[in-house]
Amino acid sequence: MASEQAAVEPRRPLSGRRLNTGDLILLVTAASAAVAVVALVALIVYKVVEGAKLSFQTFGISFVWTVAWDPVKEVFGAGSFLFGTVLTSLLALALATPLSIGIALYLTELAPRYLRGPITSLVETLAAIPSVVLGLWGIIVLGPFLSQHVEPWLHDTLGFIPLFGPPSTAGASVFTATIILTIMMLPIIASITRELFLGVPRDLKEGSLALGSTRWEMVRGVVFPYARGGIAAAMILGLGRGLGEAIAVTQVIGGGVFISWNLFSTGDTLASKIAASYQGATTNVEVASLFYLAVILLVFSLVANIAAQWIVRTVNRKQGGAAT
Amino acid sequence: MRKWGFLAAVIAVATVVGAVAVGRTAAAPQRTTSTTITGAGSTFVQPLVSQWISPLGSAFGYELQYSGVGSGAGIAAITARTVDFGASDAPLSPDQFAACKGCAQIPWALSATAIPYNLPGMKSNLHMDGPTLAKIFMGQITTWNDSAIKKLNPKVSLPSTKIAIAHRSDNSGTTYNFTDYLSSVSPVWRTKYGKGVAVNWPTGTGGKGSSGVAAIVAQTAGAIGYVDVAYALKNHLKFFSMKNRSGVYANPGLRNIAAAAASDIKPAADNSLSIVNPPKRFRAAYPISTYTYVIVPEQSAKAPEMKKFLFWAVTKGQTYGPKLLFVPIPKNVLVISEKTIKKLHT
Repeated sequence: MASEQAAVEPRRPLSGRRLNTGDLILLVTAASAAVAVVALVALIVYKVVEGAKLSFQTFGISFVWTVAWDPVKEVFGAGSFLFGTVLTSLLALALATPLSIGIALYLTELAPRYLRGPITSLVETLAAIPSVVLGLWGIIVLGPFLSQHVEPWLHDTLGFIPLFGPPSTAGASVFTATIILTIMMLPIIASITRELFLGVPRDLKEGSLALGSTRWEMVRGVVFPYARGGIAAAMILGLGRGLGEAIAVTQVIGGGVFISWNLFSTGDTLASKIAASYQGATTNVEVASLFYLAVILLVFSLVANIAAQWIVRTVNRKQGGAAT
Repeated sequence: MRKWGFLAAVIAVATVVGAVAVGRTAAAPQRTTSTTITGAGSTFVQPLVSQWISPLGSAFGYELQYSGVGSGAGIAAITARTVDFGASDAPLSPDQFAACKGCAQIPWALSATAIPYNLPGMKSNLHMDGPTLAKIFMGQITTWNDSAIKKLNPKVSLPSTKIAIAHRSDNSGTTYNFTDYLSSVSPVWRTKYGKGVAVNWPTGTGGKGSSGVAAIVAQTAGAIGYVDVAYALKNHLKFFSMKNRSGVYANPGLRNIAAAAASDIKPAADNSLSIVNPPKRFRAAYPISTYTYVIVPEQSAKAPEMKKFLFWAVTKGQTYGPKLLFVPIPKNVLVISEKTIKKLHT
């Protein structure tokens, strides 16, 4: 009580003496909402870790890199799924980032005014497409198109890179999943980046142009440095989307317990394996192993989040705390 | 001041709306006098269960609600007792039985798994046998004009197309039926991969659900997969005639599934039955046939209603099956089902 009073006290002039109870209610409501979030996260982590216990006891830490998933013989490991998660997410991020920055630049600096509104809302609409719909489109349209036209061409021209091996499926592949993830990350990174670019002070941009720089020099010298920290944060948000996406990936990735650098073969990710198998897992060890996958995914997301905050802080410090 | 007034108004409105909602849900059960029976599980058996809704209503005044959420989710739902019954295409594993605490498993419908393929220009019902099918799914036979397939289809000129394998990526009773069959025709398959609702597939592309597998087969020239027979027929997929042990090539038709069903003499203690690859004397048998099960708690408050419903389902309910390619369960199995149903109590 005493501490709550102290917290409320300084704000009193704002609303007058009579509303003390109102302030108190507000404080209690807001605080309990915040506490509820903490409790919820703690509860989820606890439940997931507890669910994984049996698998942890059976397979130990080597589960993380073991490549196996045999429900009949009850041998499980996360190796191939971890590999698939990292491969698809990082590649999708590498594709989505330059595209997003391009979109954001066009929308803030280059596009004629009458185009900006419609394109901006279209980009944001892209984020609203449910992932299951994207997955469906991936199976029926994108997958076959990629495997018939894009994959053979990439293999013929860039086949010396192990990533572009012989196309081996009719559409469901790591490559299709990567493209779907790229499409999901795109609106997130693009709309945040656009906001950042809009936040660049007009004086700076005009000053740069007045000094005789070209538009590109202005973008490179003023806009990019100003938004750098924010772009990094946007990328991490996009990465988070990619790491955790389950349904759409399950629909298009094709499955398989092995590690292959060939993008045109099938594969699996942590999230898609959980989505595909949690219903009807027949043994306790299998259920626990799925929980174990979830633990790995949680740790992964946590590390990504911490890394994001660290990057943003470092970048901002370097520029002397300019933006975001 | 005005802001606080607004907030108060919002809270007041929310409270009223909430109270109305609570009042309505509380009132709902009192309005209906009839019994509602809820179930969840297998998508495979869903078309049959849907057919039962209106006759059950007129016979007993029961309202049947079934959600086809998949066998696994159905087992989870009955384990948590959020429904009155679950439905699964694969028999419960020992772990699942233990978790379900006093559940009984009753065979209540009978159908088969078809092996669809996509070979443009080829007719339906090409010939296939078990050992060859196992070799294909193990990745040992990779082209359609392989001598093993040619030998089964001497009059057909098979293309040199590469074989593309499609299997389920989710856990599924259809996978159980299919791998049960492969295990019984191929010792190598049995020791290396075994049977289950999911196995460690040596090769191939995974699709989610019957529709996912069908999509891969439909899109890929040279593809082969497995889906439940009703699904294959509904989507006009071409599928194999499977050679049974007597050497006859059988299609997954009603007569052939019924012939396979006649083969299982006695179910195991948990009521599970396996009718894949039946012995030679069942000449017409389609070798990849399967039972599907309803799972109910032996003790429940609704036991009298559940008894009535299940008795009806395994008798009168079976007559709705044939047009959906569900074969009425044979006498000997009916006897066993009824014996288990009788044990339900409050």
